[in-house]
Amino acid sequence: MKRMLFVVCSCLALLAQVGCKKSEVSEFTDTPIIEAYLEPGDYLTVKISRQIPFAGNAQYSNDDIDNLMLTVTYDGGTHVLTPLGDGTYIDSTISVTAGGNFSISFQFNSKFVTAYTYIPSKPQNMTQSATEIAIEKMDSTSGPPTQTTQPDPIEIHWTNSDGSYYLVLVENIESVLDPIRDFGDNAPPGNRFRKSPTNLGVEEIRSSDFQYYGTHRIILYHVLPDYASLYESTSTSSQNLTNPSTSIVNGYGIFTGLNSDTLYVEVTQ
Amino acid sequence: MQGHLIKHFLLVSILTSVSLSLFAQRQYTFNAEGNRCYFNYVCYAPNSNYSNVRRPFVFVLADEYEDPMDVFKADKIKDQPQFYNYLFIYVPNKYGSNTDKLECLESLTSLITFGYAYGHTNVFLRVLDPVIKQTDIDLTGLNKTYKSVQLFEGTNKTLAQDDQIAEDFKEDTEAYGAIKVDDRDQYGTFYVEDEKNEAVVSNQKAVKTYFGPPNEYDFTLTGIVKDRSTGEALPFSTIQIKGTQKGGSSNADGYYTIQQVPSDTVTLIVSYVGFEKTEVFLSPAINKKHFVIELVPTTQELQTVTITGIRQDVVLSKREDVSVIKMTPKKLEQLPNLGERDVMRSFQLMPGVSASNESSSGLYVRGGTPDQNLVLYDGFTVYHVDHLYGFFSAFNSNALKDVQLYKGGFESRFGGRLSSVTEITGKEGNQKKFNMGGDFSLLSMNVFAEIPVGKKFSSVIAFRRSYKGPIYDKIFEKFNTSSSTTTEQTGGGGGFGGNRSQQTKVTSFFYDLNGKFTYKPTTKDIISFSIFNGTDKLDNSSSFASPSFGNSNSNFSMSSTDLTKYGNIGSSLKWSRKWSDKLYGNTILSYSNYYSDRDKSQTRTVTNSDDETTTSSSGIFENNDLKDYSFKSDYEWNPSDFSQLQFGVFATYFDIDYTYAQNDTTTVLDKHNRASLSGAYVQNKFKFLRDRIQFVPGIRASYFETTNKFYFEPRASVTVNLTDKLTLKGATGKYYQFANRVTREDILSGSKDFWLLSDGNSIPVSSAVHYIAGLSYETQNYLFSTEGYYKQISNLTEYSLRFNTSPGGVSYDENFFTGNGYSKGVEFLVQKKSGKLNGWVSYTLGQARNKFAVYSDGYFPANQDVTHEFKAVLMYKYKRWDFSVTWIYATGRPYTAPSGAYTVTLLDGSTQDFFTVTTKNGLRLPDYHRCDMAINYKLLGGVKGDKKRREIGYVGFSVFNLYNRINTWYKQYSIEDGQVIETNVNYLGFTPNVTLSLKLR
Repeated sequence: MKRMLFVVCSCLALLAQVGCKKSEVSEFTDTPIIEAYLEPGDYLTVKISRQIPFAGNAQYSNDDIDNLMLTVTYDGGTHVLTPLGDGTYIDSTISVTAGGNFSISFQFNSKFVTAYTYIPSKPQNMTQSATEIAIEKMDSTSGPPTQTTQPDPIEIHWTNSDGSYYLVLVENIESVLDPIRDFGDNAPPGNRFRKSPTNLGVEEIRSSDFQYYGTHRIILYHVLPDYASLYESTSTSSQNLTNPSTSIVNGYGIFTGLNSDTLYVEVTQ
Repeated sequence: MQGHLIKHFLLVSILTSVSLSLFAQRQYTFNAEGNRCYFNYVCYAPNSNYSNVRRPFVFVLADEYEDPMDVFKADKIKDQPQFYNYLFIYVPNKYGSNTDKLECLESLTSLITFGYAYGHTNVFLRVLDPVIKQTDIDLTGLNKTYKSVQLFEGTNKTLAQDDQIAEDFKEDTEAYGAIKVDDRDQYGTFYVEDEKNEAVVSNQKAVKTYFGPPNEYDFTLTGIVKDRSTGEALPFSTIQIKGTQKGGSSNADGYYTIQQVPSDTVTLIVSYVGFEKTEVFLSPAINKKHFVIELVPTTQELQTVTITGIRQDVVLSKREDVSVIKMTPKKLEQLPNLGERDVMRSFQLMPGVSASNESSSGLYVRGGTPDQNLVLYDGFTVYHVDHLYGFFSAFNSNALKDVQLYKGGFESRFGGRLSSVTEITGKEGNQKKFNMGGDFSLLSMNVFAEIPVGKKFSSVIAFRRSYKGPIYDKIFEKFNTSSSTTTEQTGGGGGFGGNRSQQTKVTSFFYDLNGKFTYKPTTKDIISFSIFNGTDKLDNSSSFASPSFGNSNSNFSMSSTDLTKYGNIGSSLKWSRKWSDKLYGNTILSYSNYYSDRDKSQTRTVTNSDDETTTSSSGIFENNDLKDYSFKSDYEWNPSDFSQLQFGVFATYFDIDYTYAQNDTTTVLDKHNRASLSGAYVQNKFKFLRDRIQFVPGIRASYFETTNKFYFEPRASVTVNLTDKLTLKGATGKYYQFANRVTREDILSGSKDFWLLSDGNSIPVSSAVHYIAGLSYETQNYLFSTEGYYKQISNLTEYSLRFNTSPGGVSYDENFFTGNGYSKGVEFLVQKKSGKLNGWVSYTLGQARNKFAVYSDGYFPANQDVTHEFKAVLMYKYKRWDFSVTWIYATGRPYTAPSGAYTVTLLDGSTQDFFTVTTKNGLRLPDYHRCDMAINYKLLGGVKGDKKRREIGYVGFSVFNLYNRINTWYKQYSIEDGQVIETNVNYLGFTPNVTLSLKLR
């Protein structure tokens, strides 16, 4: 019987040891969202925001999003950014230039948030295969297209010797938009469209990409991989909650440098 | 009672008086003078019992002119111990032709054996006349009279010490029973009904018959343990010399060796779960080289007065080993089930094995995952043990004989897994009689046949197939409720036009087939071939066609495929041989294949007006194919009383493929790994202090081709029997795993896993170190046991597409992440082993933590982490009824969920939504609990009113989840318009089932 008592006692002792640990349940973590595109010629501007929690009872931290101590390290010097309200911070003493390295840091929800980036070079030797493209007007009254062949796409070329990421953005700059197609009941598309990021030195703009007639600005951005990954995330299946890979530690969003060059194209009837 | 005593007294006194006249031969005369067959002959019974006819007879025909008395005196064979209970008859040789010489033998034999009262099986003949040849024997038809005839072949006729005689003139004890005892007594399980309160011994119990002095001391006893009703060998049964701690256990083939048995008159206590504990009385007469111990399956008894045997039910925690649970599938029907008796499910009722996973038959042992549990089925590895999403295990209990689970700290002879070992031995089949049976439930039908051919060959074939009954549908629907709603974007062309026709053709089923063929050419060799095939096909596909859409004249058809097909094919060829009393070995060649094809996709076929057809598929295509070719050779050598050496070599060639594609052009993962793993192990079982201490050190060394490295795994375990009842246990060891089931994290629709072979880089070889300590206290009726464990795990692999390691998405290979983990806990078990009311209560307190740098800086709860788990099993017998209730309570498992969203504005002014998730496994599902119950009513053969009737099956009624608790399996999320919609996927609710089980014997 004594032995039994010993067994039971030692079991209870073991139980007490392991059993006293608190079970950990953590749900929503208030992690800041950073948004900053650093382009030569602009002042350094950073926008900080919060996630929108799914759970109704989620608690934000006590940090004031408009009154954070954001510091930037650039060119060996450290500056404190000025809050403009609505989570936006600026340093009007720093003008962004190509090749510059930037890192920011601040405290949020008891964590040290950091991010860094650099400004890539301006795209080199940007050329276009045509400055004008003729597209037949199509609407419900004109029926299916009578054109037997589509106009040749416009090819944009540039030098990309290191496999960097580039992004082509096309913007109609007319003040009045003249649609190519009848949009029917659908909302008219915006005046801008973009191609997916590429690490080649060429991009095609097809006639079907254009929605309106008139002058278009073609902006070629030299972007960093973290920006490219924003697009990557959207293409993978939604079954994976992929977050873009960024340089941001203890935060989400985008903190990236970019550089651009511009050409123009005319869309005619 | 008094009468019983008198009988006993009489028996003792007869035996004593006979023993006084030991070693006396007797001379008789056959026929009267003048008869052609008139002569004197000599009889000799080494045990001096001349009246018994249930014994073997050896007739010895003398040479010409030789006096039978001289032959008797010169014969040394008669004194060999294995012929102790034989009767020797020395017959003179009549002259003349060879036929004349043999002529009178048959009539004398018939006389002495009472007209072959027990057949011709145990009647043997030795011929000492060199002239007589086999042709003469055949000519006179004597080859039919005698089981075996040994002819004189020019050697010294009295010598003949060869093993051949022992083998040729071997006693077949079963032959007596075949006539004397009712057939039904021998084969099958019986039920004794006794209305009066009278002590009835349910089975013929062994009775001590030898009361003389011992003949031999400190000898080695070796033989086999068998099931008396079927003749099947009983693996891992326990043999103990009564009154001592000394003993041993039978090996996987039922063979045992006990060294330094104090004398040949001791009593053995032999036990095996589900069988009656039996006392076996040794005597000098037994064959010490091949002593067959037969156990009788537990018989149902009603009387309360006497418990004749100690019944050990269903599952048993082994006392002599560390962390080993043993189960006999024979008794499984006593536990509640969900349509199928299931060995894996039953293990889940024991402490340390998680029970809250209805969707996994694979075992989560002590914070380990199912892939860390090595499943050996007749020597080959089974990689996937699930049927129907894991609700049932792939093992058909009708084909199984013995299952052992090593929860940790396992021996060096097992390897390649981090956590535990499940060793399954298939039935060899009834070796005496043809047997067949079947189970019919609301889920499946299950039939088996056991076919013996001759004395040396036995076979068992079992087949099981599900049908789309209510239970099947219920489980199937768990998975496939929403998959039929499909929203398709048809671009700018407008909506669908015309009539849509939808066709659903669903064919889903699982089946499995087990076969085992055993051939025993000699008493020393066993050759067996075992084959297993199980397949699941889960199909929820549909298709619809639309004659035209939009303004154009094109045809559009779409089919939605949701097909999962997986299965196992495994087989092994095993040769076991008892090389000598001290050396036993078996060699296994095996093949195992696990395949899984998953196709959850939509195929769109568009035919335009020019009859050009374009087909595109999108969805998930997953394909896993694992092949394992193995060779193993294991040996047991018993050099001395206190030491048993086990050693062996092994080699495996793995061929593992995995592909994962998201549509017909994008392949996310494409892995093909092949490598060999080979090595050797050695371990020794030492016994000290009169077997009070058992210490098993061992080492296993493996060479893995991929990494080009050697891996050494030192291990040790110790058990100390402090008293007869109290045992202290401990074990430690290092373990490596080369093929792993990697989890593919999927927060939205539930994680999946797949088998991969370590590549040495992104999927490293994982390893673990175990530390186990325990204490058990066992009495006649109760077992109290507790064990604590700590397990350190390194190099775990998980796959997640949640992290974009390289923008541009060139290589998804980078999405393998490596981490470490640990698990620790304590287990408690209180078991009532016998009585009408028996069962057990168990509690496990556990913690399983992982640490992956990609998920978090610190440790997080592993997917399989369960803090508290409490299980109670109660079984009660009343007459022909068996009642059982189980209750399970377990802390909810951890999970990860989407926690929030944020928006990033892109350069073109558009916005992109992203979702964040909680900390890895930061949330817990609600606690799991469930109660099951079962009632079985035995069906009996024979006539009502018979005292002893054969059990031919049962009708079972079982309820799963009695109080309809809604337990959450996992959560599914869909993100629509920036909103997260959470769906709980629940486990089964209240599910009743009826089973009818029938068998011949």
